[in-house]
Amino acid sequence: MRRTLLIAKRDYLATVRTRAFVVGLIVAPMLFGGGFLGVALMRAKPDLRLRRIAIVDHTAAAAGAIIQAAREKSDRGAIDRAGGGQIAPRYELESVAADPKDDDALRLALSDRVRRLELDAFVEIGPGVLRPGATAAERRVTYYTNAGGIDQLRSWLSGPVSDGIRMARLAQLGIDPARLQELTAGVPLEGMSLVARDEKTGEIGQARKRSELEGFIVPYSLVLLMAMMVMLGASPMLGSVTLDKTQRVAEMLLGAATPMELMAGKVLAAVGVSLTSSAFYVVGGLFVLQGLGLAGTLAPGIIVWFYVYLLADMVMLCSLAAALGALCSTPQDAQHLAMLVIAPVVLPLFVLVAVMSQPNSILSTALSLFPLFTPLLMLVRQALPAGVPGWQPWVGLAGVLVTAPAIVWVAARLFRIGIMFQGKLPKGADILRWAIRG
Amino acid sequence: MQAVELSGVTKTFGSVTAVDDLSLAVPAGSVYGFIGPNGSGKTTTMRMIVNIFYPDSGTVRLFGERRLGARAEWIGYLPEERGLYQKMAVRPLLEFYGELRSGRKVTEEVDRWLERLGLKDWASRKVEALSKGMSQKVQFIAAVVPRPKLLILDEPFTGLDPVSADALRDAILQLRRDGVTVILSTHDMHVAESMCDYILMIYRGRKVLDGTLASIQDQYGNDTIRVEAEGGLASVEHLAGLEQVRDLGQWQELRMTRGCDPQQVLRELVARTRVTSFSVVKPSLHDIFVRIAGPAAEEVHVA
Repeated sequence: MRRTLLIAKRDYLATVRTRAFVVGLIVAPMLFGGGFLGVALMRAKPDLRLRRIAIVDHTAAAAGAIIQAAREKSDRGAIDRAGGGQIAPRYELESVAADPKDDDALRLALSDRVRRLELDAFVEIGPGVLRPGATAAERRVTYYTNAGGIDQLRSWLSGPVSDGIRMARLAQLGIDPARLQELTAGVPLEGMSLVARDEKTGEIGQARKRSELEGFIVPYSLVLLMAMMVMLGASPMLGSVTLDKTQRVAEMLLGAATPMELMAGKVLAAVGVSLTSSAFYVVGGLFVLQGLGLAGTLAPGIIVWFYVYLLADMVMLCSLAAALGALCSTPQDAQHLAMLVIAPVVLPLFVLVAVMSQPNSILSTALSLFPLFTPLLMLVRQALPAGVPGWQPWVGLAGVLVTAPAIVWVAARLFRIGIMFQGKLPKGADILRWAIRG
Repeated sequence: MQAVELSGVTKTFGSVTAVDDLSLAVPAGSVYGFIGPNGSGKTTTMRMIVNIFYPDSGTVRLFGERRLGARAEWIGYLPEERGLYQKMAVRPLLEFYGELRSGRKVTEEVDRWLERLGLKDWASRKVEALSKGMSQKVQFIAAVVPRPKLLILDEPFTGLDPVSADALRDAILQLRRDGVTVILSTHDMHVAESMCDYILMIYRGRKVLDGTLASIQDQYGNDTIRVEAEGGLASVEHLAGLEQVRDLGQWQELRMTRGCDPQQVLRELVARTRVTSFSVVKPSLHDIFVRIAGPAAEEVHVA
């Protein structure tokens, strides 16, 4: 044990004292959660530039209603009601008279204005939009822009254009649009948490409004964090053991420590590094949730399960990585085998959204009880508001606790043989034979 | 008391038998040299003694005990290849290896050895900044700082300049005087002849020589003539009764056939040229090595 701890201490310090580790703490979440981060940044710093759109109305009756609908929507969304500051861009629509004699010249003129950045886009309302029985060509509403494929302006504008045309049609029929809107207004479903009786006071508590964070982002982030920790721990382990072997450090160490002590020391160091990193993120995440007033959305029990699963997953996959690393004689060999190590992390991520959408389906339950997937999939199911039946985490954990020592045992056998093995990457049959016979 | 005892040890790797039914005994406090061509099984044997490899059959005893799979803090091991963490500084690296082996702090020993081998000024430098010879000395220090009673050195003089080699030789001999048993492998026959109390030659995994230098040479008898004569090689060629002539530049070594009279050779030689030196000697270890493992090797007789 003394030698194991000494090797673990050296490897741990050799990792956490590097600049790469500190930089990795910041860069890794960007790589794993880059999409979320980008969206968050865009939301935090929106482009508030005024958007200008021209409307060419061939009906001569719809533009006014569209402009009115757009103005109302722009006023509603641009200003933060609580703080009073601008939080979204304003939209300004101008009506341009149609020229039936030379539509093309008008379109060119407006296109040039878009190119000169005087306009962001222009919309052409077909002459038959308000007329029942008009042909499809006459009812076309066309949108012209040079924006990219993901065009927020187009999404934003579709509402006011539809509303304006609808109102113009109703006005033609003599129906009060406001009355009709009231009668046909949609009824949204507001998500609420379940209510529970307060154990101390005995009173029935109030349901609270459920946020998007609670239902999706928090469980998803937890699983992503665990995947990140395991991948950043297990994957470099493979290369590190191969490097120790090719640089002959392994032989020097094996002169003083048994293969099992050496492997255990390396796994322990990786677990330590992962705990250090995860503590950084978990504490940071809790502060963020606290700041957002969502501290209650993450039950303390989930954090405990997170660490239990993280430890088990790290031990399983780092042992596997160490064993495979020991079988490699070149860094290229290690690259070939890397997929075997990260597969138990990557495969659950492929089905993660499906599991989150139907957390208690038979498939979700079965997948989360498969020991190699349990740490990620059971955790995400537990972190969802619906939770899982109480027995499932324990059965899942039992599977992990049986599987982890088995993997460590096999890995230790392979490590002992592989670490001094030189030459070509052994074949699958050889690896199997070594695993069975030692 | 035998420090190391191998009995009928065999080790195979797939279809290759690296060590074949090897038995040997290393007396405590001696310097025991392994010689043999590359790939003959020296390193595999050393790794079995250190317990890095386990024998397929046979037993390894260290100071009378079988310790399969265990690591002993009283063994120092210098592998053939340089195995040092390149990014670590010399002193912390040596303290790590020393503590790993011995289980105690070895700061004083590290300082003492760094001073002794002239590396004191390099203690804070990273290993990657060291020359090959310096790295070799650092690795040697790593092997000796735990104060081993059995020191196993796989080709310790490789890559060392003569001054460093002398320093290392002195250190090894001092350790031996302090009672440490030393097993070393070498391709330098002069090192084996001058340093080793006992010499073992392994060839194709099997023991072919084992004993003191004198006892090994006695097996071959005084069958070698060392000659310095005017005309060099040309003057000694085609003399009767010779099996082989080896040109060493300034002198030649002549191996006599069994029953050949050296006086007859001398007479014939004097008749041909002016002889400045003529001595009948036992074959050198180098010569014996080449006889066994050279291109014209005779049938190998297992010792």
